[in-house]
Amino acid sequence: MVSQSELIKEARENGMDLLPLDKDTYELFFGPQHMATENFSIILKMDGHRVVKAIANPGFLHRGFEKLAELRPWYTNIALLLRICVPEPDVPEMIYSMAVEEIMGWEVPERAQWIRTVVLEMARVSAYLFWTMGMAFKLGVYTAGQWAAAYRERFMALFEELTGARVYHIYTIPGGVRRDIPGDKWLRQLKDTVEYVKSKLPDFDHLIFENYITFRRMEGIGVMDKKFALEEGVTGPNLRATGVPYDVRRADPYLLYPELDFEVPVLKEGDALARALIRRYELEQDLYILEQLLEMGPPSGPYKIQDPRLKNLPRFKVPAGDAFAHVESTKGDFGAYVVSNGGNKPYRVQIRGPSIAHGIRVLEQLLIGARIADVPVILVSLDNCPPDIDR
Amino acid sequence: MTMKEQEIVERILKKAPYAEGKVRRERRIEFKVPADRIRNFLTLMKESGFELMLQITPVDWIKEGEIEIIYQIWSVTHRIHAMVRTRIPRDLEKARMPTVKDIYPAAETYERDAHEFFGVYFEGNEKMEMPWILDDTERGTYPLRKDFDMLSYVKKKYKILDRFDENKDNYVI
Repeated sequence: MVSQSELIKEARENGMDLLPLDKDTYELFFGPQHMATENFSIILKMDGHRVVKAIANPGFLHRGFEKLAELRPWYTNIALLLRICVPEPDVPEMIYSMAVEEIMGWEVPERAQWIRTVVLEMARVSAYLFWTMGMAFKLGVYTAGQWAAAYRERFMALFEELTGARVYHIYTIPGGVRRDIPGDKWLRQLKDTVEYVKSKLPDFDHLIFENYITFRRMEGIGVMDKKFALEEGVTGPNLRATGVPYDVRRADPYLLYPELDFEVPVLKEGDALARALIRRYELEQDLYILEQLLEMGPPSGPYKIQDPRLKNLPRFKVPAGDAFAHVESTKGDFGAYVVSNGGNKPYRVQIRGPSIAHGIRVLEQLLIGARIADVPVILVSLDNCPPDIDR
Repeated sequence: MTMKEQEIVERILKKAPYAEGKVRRERRIEFKVPADRIRNFLTLMKESGFELMLQITPVDWIKEGEIEIIYQIWSVTHRIHAMVRTRIPRDLEKARMPTVKDIYPAAETYERDAHEFFGVYFEGNEKMEMPWILDDTERGTYPLRKDFDMLSYVKKKYKILDRFDENKDNYVI
């Protein structure tokens, strides 16, 4: 029988970097294969069951989107950038397109704006359902998680009919959208799906959001205050859970959002429960927005801009200039800064991922002093998207 | 429409006469500031209600021999996006900026990002040595600079293309 100290000695000799064993603390590698971390890796320094220090590691993606975007023509970048955040791929497409349109000085047709708003809201609903699935799994309420996955699948099917792909849509392009909506049948299906998911929300409430166990596990866990959140650059539902009513859809209106009626939910507690409840309210608001849009109906007209420069896409050029565009995603304020020097490729594309703020620094600070059982709850309540941190 | 933006730009320029400023469009303003006054200017911006640091964007202008650093700041109070632009030389020894992490704590991560990919050194930020790019990447390679030769780097590092070259006759392209 080999003793543990001998094993450690052998490991050191083989070049493995281990923390010196002292009396009180030990090191725990949590993730990326662990179910509760969603391909996110954290190194925890533990004292008993309390976390003393945490080092977050977004993963080993290292895909280099920003460099690759400089090497490809303007239009092919859409197929690259949407891979940044998989649960919500329409957001990177949209910000890139909006920035390019601003440099070009294009006004997008009304029908395209309507379709884009619908697509963004569908993406939000499916991303929130995805998050509900993750949260339910982490709290041990597997039934609700499976429901959420099944309801998300309905939206995926609608996306497939609209864009031709379930996950990677490549649908929004500078100047409009790639193709028109399939027809009235699709609109009816969307309406039915929205009604169906809305009718199922009380079931979620009974099972998760009004559950005594959820309250006991999430109340007072991972608390951050308003000042701290703003200083660290936290946006989206995480910021609204601390009491700041900042939503890009209201603060910097784009597409059809100024005409729509919806609420921006705000809570003051700033703990994991508040963040979860904000997402629950927003899911309801997004379904309400989709209902309004369907009632409005798609305006007639072209679904993309009529411009002779779009005839030859590989030689498509954008005049010199720069633009910043941002939209509200379920993770927060998602932005893109695009620079053109007049060529057929972008000179510089930078994506502002919202998870970079709450996924690394804030997470590391909130985990200090937490119990090991609360680590997955804090992680899922912040809702980070590792690929959007490590671009 | 642009009244509020114009008013804010004028108010800030009054306190910072060394800067140039303009309104780009509705809810978008921008300033040009010399690199040595950036801390002073960003303190002023934060006091004027621009509390959220969204991103720090370096752009490599290789023909001019300069790196442009753009601080993207959002004001939750005024609902305005501000770009604060500054230019520093491209040479590795001269590409230095003062850190702003005590003014905007979120900037620490973005400064680290700028250092990793552009080689801009932020004085006063201790977390600069922590790499985001792969650990076995050579020091002194800054992938997002325009003179970074990606093909030869990949060739050297992974030796994939060399192997391909040796056995070229065996492959049918």
